[in-house]
Amino acid sequence: MARSVWKGPFVDGYMMKKAEKARASGRNDIIKTWSRRSTVLPQFVGLTFGVYNGNKFLPVSVTENMIGHKFGEFAPTRTFKGHTAADKKADKAGGKG
Amino acid sequence: MSTERRICIGVIMGAHGVRGQIRLRSFTADPESLFAYKPLTSEDGQRVFAVTRKDVMKNYFVAALPGVADREAAEALRGTKLYIERSVLPPAQAGEYYEADLIGLAARTAENEAFGAVEAVHDYGAGTFLEIKPKGGKSFMLPFNDDLVPVVDVAAGYVLIVVPEGWLDEEKPQKAPKKGPKA
Repeated sequence: MARSVWKGPFVDGYMMKKAEKARASGRNDIIKTWSRRSTVLPQFVGLTFGVYNGNKFLPVSVTENMIGHKFGEFAPTRTFKGHTAADKKADKAGGKG
Repeated sequence: MSTERRICIGVIMGAHGVRGQIRLRSFTADPESLFAYKPLTSEDGQRVFAVTRKDVMKNYFVAALPGVADREAAEALRGTKLYIERSVLPPAQAGEYYEADLIGLAARTAENEAFGAVEAVHDYGAGTFLEIKPKGGKSFMLPFNDDLVPVVDVAAGYVLIVVPEGWLDEEKPQKAPKKGPKA
């Protein structure tokens, strides 16, 4: 059952404080969080979060098309042990997330 | 025999039918491109496999090999991995790197001191990141961007990394405030 619209998206309170602090610092810090249940808000775009998957913090660089999803969706908790694509390329992002 | 680095791009899973056809699994980003790369060789490069695509199934291709005419001969190839030379891959564009090239590179700090090695490259939909294995420590993830990985020199075999402040610190999660009983 979907969450009622009048409640707004759920975000753990301290996430907002951490995000504001990181944005104010202007550095390329990664914000560590255990809050996989928090929704990605428009205020988080451009920041990089380290989302805990039960073992490690996985970097999640927030972009516009991630708004509305939960942080946990981008940090899988199970390891894929298959064969990676041999000719797969990795794009290097510009920076600042 | 060439001494160039080889990359595994497929594996023979076993026989298909009784006429010597094989089941072939592709490890390329686009599975069909397995047949575009030539020559396909064994790991030591001594045996060349001229595979011909016959059919496609849910998880594998059906292919034929010259000189393999019956099921026993095809079954004998089960588990054989198919390799290409690294130079066969088309050159990557600026800012792009083959994951196979990045894995195994030495990781150095901005002061050019040895730190560890690149263990894996991941992308779960929120940006590419490198898994760095420090010397004698637990591996950690680092976003693959210009700020934190300013230099990638595949030819020289290293990447320069900048570990953000506090990223490797052990921390415990903040506990949510306990709610009292409802009145």
